[in-house]
Amino acid sequence: MDPSGIFSTSYARDRALIRTRAQWVTLGLFIAILLFLPWFASARLVAVANLMLVTSIVVVGLQITTGYAGQINLGQAAFMGVGAYAASVVEVKAGLPFWVAVPVAGLVAALAGWLFGMTAARIKGFYLALTTIAAQFIFHFIVLNLPSAWLGGVNGFSLEPARMGTFLFNTDRSLYYLFLVVTMVMVIGAFGILRSRHGRAFVAVRDDDVAAGMMGVDVAGAKSRAFVLGAFYAGIGGALWAYQVRFVSVDQFTLFNSIWFIAMMIVGGLGSIVGALIGTVLIRGVQETITSLGPDLVERIPSLSSDLIFASMNVFLGLIITLFLLLEPKGLMHRWNILKTNYRLWPFHH
Amino acid sequence: MQRNTFLKLTAALASGLLLNAPAHAQSTTINVAAFADFAGPYANVMSQMQGGRLAVIEWWNKEVGSKLNVQIVVKTFDTRYDVAQTASLWPGIKAEVKPAILLGLGGPDAAALQQRLPEDKIPMVMATATYGFGWKPNQWALNLRPTYAHEAGGFLEWFRTTKLDGKRPVKVAIITSEATPAYADMAKGLQSYTKANPDKATFVEAIWTEVQPADLTLAVRRLVNAGTDVIVIQTNTAQAVATKRALQALGKNVPIMLSLHNGVVGSSKALGDPNGFAGDFEVGAIADASEDDTTARKFYSMLQEKHGLKSGWNAMTIMGLGQSVVAVRAIEATIKAKGAGKVTGEAVRETLMNSQFTSNDLMGILPGVDFSNDTPFPTGTAKVNIATMKDGKVVRAAADVNVPVVPKW
Repeated sequence: MDPSGIFSTSYARDRALIRTRAQWVTLGLFIAILLFLPWFASARLVAVANLMLVTSIVVVGLQITTGYAGQINLGQAAFMGVGAYAASVVEVKAGLPFWVAVPVAGLVAALAGWLFGMTAARIKGFYLALTTIAAQFIFHFIVLNLPSAWLGGVNGFSLEPARMGTFLFNTDRSLYYLFLVVTMVMVIGAFGILRSRHGRAFVAVRDDDVAAGMMGVDVAGAKSRAFVLGAFYAGIGGALWAYQVRFVSVDQFTLFNSIWFIAMMIVGGLGSIVGALIGTVLIRGVQETITSLGPDLVERIPSLSSDLIFASMNVFLGLIITLFLLLEPKGLMHRWNILKTNYRLWPFHH
Repeated sequence: MQRNTFLKLTAALASGLLLNAPAHAQSTTINVAAFADFAGPYANVMSQMQGGRLAVIEWWNKEVGSKLNVQIVVKTFDTRYDVAQTASLWPGIKAEVKPAILLGLGGPDAAALQQRLPEDKIPMVMATATYGFGWKPNQWALNLRPTYAHEAGGFLEWFRTTKLDGKRPVKVAIITSEATPAYADMAKGLQSYTKANPDKATFVEAIWTEVQPADLTLAVRRLVNAGTDVIVIQTNTAQAVATKRALQALGKNVPIMLSLHNGVVGSSKALGDPNGFAGDFEVGAIADASEDDTTARKFYSMLQEKHGLKSGWNAMTIMGLGQSVVAVRAIEATIKAKGAGKVTGEAVRETLMNSQFTSNDLMGILPGVDFSNDTPFPTGTAKVNIATMKDGKVVRAAADVNVPVVPKW
């Protein structure tokens, strides 16, 4: 719903994502803040921002698969792992630069996603959830049991910093800009995909796959494409993660991580790209705040033992998420949309 | 004359005070960062380890630091034993705390930081045994104990000599999991040892199971039928308990060799029988938790009496003590070599690489520490202590057993 007095007078205007001058100004300010963040933020904050950027790509991918196409995916961390390993192999074994390794990682993860997408065409609900959990275990099994000369086995992979010409991305600040650019491209891409006929097919399949099929939507193809796209995003995120930590091992991509990704998506709001970004920032932000608060509390209240404080901090984190899901199960974007509509309709209720 | 003498004395006193005052004010503070896990898989035992760490720092500050006019301040961060959390915390720790040394926990810390520490020039010491994938040259992530394979090898050679009279190789099997690279690495290391020492040990089989298996009777029956002399379990208490239950169900008594983090006391508690692992062994290249009147035990008692140590005498506390005692001794040696103002991470690592700390230096907690650029764990000084369980208590079976040479795998 547009603000009062705003009318779409052309098709392009009707399709526009940014519809008012105020929205353009806000977006410009937001991008400016993002660009200047590393210059006024602490080293810790930049590192946290890096992690948020990488995670947000993965969660946006999950949003496409689950939030838009309605295909439950509990194996997003495995697809991220596939991307991380693919990037490592391309860099370490083939000696190719990171700007080749990252897209290749996305494509390899997309291939893995396609394999699981094939099953999604035949099963759904709990059965599909179980199949995607299997992705986690298959990924672990393959990495650990293939000859270690191929994927590193238990030894994992150590990577050199990403390099573009003579410039090395070996500081948190330089990585931040790299990750920011990739994230922006991926998010813009996600908006584009979801506003295309593929995106509309995803939503139709999510809402009622039988009806979508009767309307001429290729249901099996749409489900499969949703997995391919979600896994591609996870693969890109995994490749960036590999260049951030510069050591890849199989235990960095667990079922537990996949569950956190789902939590981020739900807290932000299912079926919203912005929701995926907000959920990632919120959950990671709360996690990191609590983690930072612990040592300070231990210093300020030495009478309380560190184990008590740290344990309480994590109970607090769990409590926040539980309360959130109880009070706003449809996610933050739902609450934001209600607020925005009420503001635009005010003083009328309807 | 009296007036002059008085003036001279007053002047001397004043100048003395003036000279002394800055010396007190200039007490140097050296920061140490510590990683903890109060919300992850080791949350239930973390307070024990943390108690050990803090008590050593307090002891050093009072007994040694005060004489050197140096105070060590330790700041702890909860990483939840998670690579992502460690990776996001580290840049802030480096920038704000500027630690001279880092007390790590295990695999996730090494994974997150092993590529960064050489660039940030801050060493990390961990009290766990080393994994094969950490066995790389020029490391800044250092382990105070050799690999799990070295520790198992030391035990097997002792077992062969004392229990089999050295007549034949020990038939050894391992129960582990593919869930994490660390667990899988334990089996690969043991295989490497047995392959290199066929006259000392024969590898029967590696049982790959879940991290928390429900029942291992079939797998253990296979090991028993193959004539296994020793079952090695260095993963966790859940696998130890499942193996014990399987042996009880089969009516067999094959000795189990455990590591320290899943030692006989913890595993017995998990089994629900305080004496459940009687006759089994726990092995580590660090002081054992027996009640013997050892140097390490005396040090622990002193920390309890004078420095408020509340953690019990167990493997986790001992690992906390060992880790922090190495850190403070490395800092102390650096201060003596370079001066308190020049204690940087790089200088501390240089000390660790170029010095050999004896067991006496380390209050008997560790057999000694001698790192090199080729091996990020002690080799020359490494010795294992072997403890067993009797009447619900940890009893020393053998001390200072040499560890064998294990080929890199």
